[in-house]
Amino acid sequence: MINKALFKQSCKANWVKWLAVTLSTCIMLMIVIIVLGNLGINDIRDSLKDVFVQADQESYLKENSVDGYELYLTSVDGYSVLYAKAVYMPSLQQSFNDAVTEFEEYYGEGSATKEIRDNQIIPQLVSVIISNPMFAGAFVGMDDATVTMFLTTYLTVYSDNQLNGTSKTNDEILQETYAKMVYQNAYQQEIVSGKTEEEAFTSAIFAKSVALDAAKEYTKNSINPEFDYSQVATNCVNLLIQEQAEQSFAGSDLSEDEIKQQGVAAKVISNTAITTYLLWYNQLMEGQEETPEIVLQAKTEAKNQATKSISDQIPEKVAVALQELGNMDIYGLIIGSIFYKIAGLLLPMVFVIMTANGLLAGQVDSGSMAYVLSTPTKRRTVTVTQLAYLAFALFSMFAMLTIFSVIAVAIAGGNSFAINFGEILLLNLGAYVTMFAIAGFCFMCSALFNTTKHSLSIGGGLTIFSLVCTILGLFGSAVVPSAMRISAMNFFNYLSIITLFDTVSILDGTLSFLWKLAILAGIGLIGIIVGVFRFDKKDLPL
Amino acid sequence: MENIIEVKNLTKDYGQNRGIFDITFSVKKGEVFGFVGTNGSGKTTIIRHLMGFLKAQKGQVNVLGLDAWKDSCEIKKSVEYIPGEIAFPDLNNGITFLKNQADLLKLENMNYADYLIQKLQLDPSANLKRMSKGMKQKTAIVAALMADKDVIILDEPTTGLDPLMRETFLEIILEEKKKGKTIIMSSQMFDELETTCDRVALILDGHIIDIASIDDIKNSKKIFYKIEFKNEKDFKDFKKLKYKIIRTQEKYFQYTISISKDKVSKLFNDLKNFKLKFISEVKQNLEKHFKEVLLKVYENENKSNQKSSKKEVKKNDK
Repeated sequence: MINKALFKQSCKANWVKWLAVTLSTCIMLMIVIIVLGNLGINDIRDSLKDVFVQADQESYLKENSVDGYELYLTSVDGYSVLYAKAVYMPSLQQSFNDAVTEFEEYYGEGSATKEIRDNQIIPQLVSVIISNPMFAGAFVGMDDATVTMFLTTYLTVYSDNQLNGTSKTNDEILQETYAKMVYQNAYQQEIVSGKTEEEAFTSAIFAKSVALDAAKEYTKNSINPEFDYSQVATNCVNLLIQEQAEQSFAGSDLSEDEIKQQGVAAKVISNTAITTYLLWYNQLMEGQEETPEIVLQAKTEAKNQATKSISDQIPEKVAVALQELGNMDIYGLIIGSIFYKIAGLLLPMVFVIMTANGLLAGQVDSGSMAYVLSTPTKRRTVTVTQLAYLAFALFSMFAMLTIFSVIAVAIAGGNSFAINFGEILLLNLGAYVTMFAIAGFCFMCSALFNTTKHSLSIGGGLTIFSLVCTILGLFGSAVVPSAMRISAMNFFNYLSIITLFDTVSILDGTLSFLWKLAILAGIGLIGIIVGVFRFDKKDLPL
Repeated sequence: MENIIEVKNLTKDYGQNRGIFDITFSVKKGEVFGFVGTNGSGKTTIIRHLMGFLKAQKGQVNVLGLDAWKDSCEIKKSVEYIPGEIAFPDLNNGITFLKNQADLLKLENMNYADYLIQKLQLDPSANLKRMSKGMKQKTAIVAALMADKDVIILDEPTTGLDPLMRETFLEIILEEKKKGKTIIMSSQMFDELETTCDRVALILDGHIIDIASIDDIKNSKKIFYKIEFKNEKDFKDFKKLKYKIIRTQEKYFQYTISISKDKVSKLFNDLKNFKLKFISEVKQNLEKHFKEVLLKVYENENKSNQKSSKKEVKKNDK
């Protein structure tokens, strides 16, 4: 079916064109991948992304600060309730000590280990106390669960103090009890609201620190009911936020000074947030009645205002556009949508248009086909041979392109590069199948028409039309950020068969590009079959 | 003798009176058959049918007993062809082209090609694109003839050749003829057909008007004389003798007459009574023969045109 002499003739006639197109396309691709890779075209994108990440962090920090401030004030109130019960504590301690002594008398000295105390003695004692009307009276206004929790926590802290030999005062034990209760509540709340254990742990620890500080401060100033806690609350929260920030950078590669700077920056942000919050709150509450609803509303609004970050302050549409710009995959756009669908296809397209025309229509038009057909060579052999040459030339071209692109990706950083080896191989395969479809179509035109004029204007014309539509359609496609996108331009994508080469799907790792490539291969095959059969039957002016 | 080529009622109508119509002829083995005709008369179209490049609308084209369209590949095993338009494949130089052509022909022995190259004084190493028309034609001749096959089809093979090279080419054709090959060629030059062909077909507007045998023309029993008289009286008197006058030029008192060979002495006797300026024999050749044929065709056309116009006039009168 394939005539060697004719194949050789086609090679000789087209190799210069082939070499020029292949080399220039390969060089173009190398430049796109390596040079742009080293220039770091993703830097702008990354810094833009950083702005939004920082804005998110800042917003989170401010929220924490305001929450911490509010928690401090709540904790002062909450602790004041417990502090009022401090008088009952010595007898509670006595009861516990009695229970321990009794246990050890029975089981021997030192038999009441921490485990026994936590799991047996304390729960038993708490249930006894709760059912005792005398003690129950002491906790009027608190529900059973809270009382149980308080007693259990208090006794655990007291017992641990005994066992560890740390001589904490009664005040300290009470303060720690309160802080622990706040910790447990905060942790549960965070878990219920869907946070991960780690996140819940972090914010619970923060709440515990705030509560402990508030309890200590209250103990100090309990004699003065008029004491204004807002200043100490602000200071406390600022310091805690600073500490937290420093801790979060602890394992990183920042120097000690830099970590301190980060801490100070966090403290400043925290202070600003709380100040802003108070200012807004006072502003909102001016002249208003202090009903719980109004207060809550004012607090929520003040918190919203105080925790705004950069991204909240710019108009929403601009923010969305900028954020999209930050998330855009510039390599995907340049290599996938611009190189493989437009720039890299242009020269192979010109090669295919010219070569497909020259293989049949051009030779019929000039008359040189007569020299082939006046030898014992069937028309079918001519078409199949020329087709084999075209497919071979195109295949070797893309084989070269694949080799060059893999080398380029290896130089640009291998699999850690924005586009990995698998993706670059698929892109090359897709481009080959696309060119196969175009080649099939151009070959069909070359076989159908007897003149170069018609073959080129239909085959080449429609091919270039497709490319131009892809260029115009790019401005309407989803890979372009919405700020630059003109969605009406997407219409052009429906006019181009190159649209069936779905680079976005390849780079996203989805499989929808497969059936589209199958359609392209089908188009190519139909072109070939129509061309081969028509050429057998038509009149040739030779 | 067996017919190598048989064409029966071949028609290819391109519309607007263009194409070929009802072409019938046959070529025997060892015969050299020529086509002559004006540009666009249909010579090339007939040859393309013989080569299987065009499909007949009507009629049959057989070469070597095979259908020219269906078995065109099989036929090419014994047919060589020089196309009318010389356009070479996109290759560097003549040598590459000839070697490539030999590959296509599965030809290994290049001795005959070398002989042809020498005979035509061709430099095949020249760049194909920069070759002059004559050089291209020579290259095409070598490419076609080098396989030394039995049937040779040539479409205006001498265009572009200088007069000397034309002679050489005609020598080659005559050599081929001597080898017993069947040759079909088209040309616009009567003399070259006359020297090579056994029979020549005249084609006009897609129809074969006449097929002339060169032997018959050369060995014609008629002789043509051109006679010029000194005065008008003799000129007019001669007409009364009723010789067959082919052409009259009153300005010069000239006649061209045709007589059979056995009446030559009678003519000269008659002429004794006239004062002549000169008398010369006009040699009959293909060109003259076809001119006569064409004149008859045109006369018939004119008559039929006049008749039809008369009819129209009558119609109008009614």
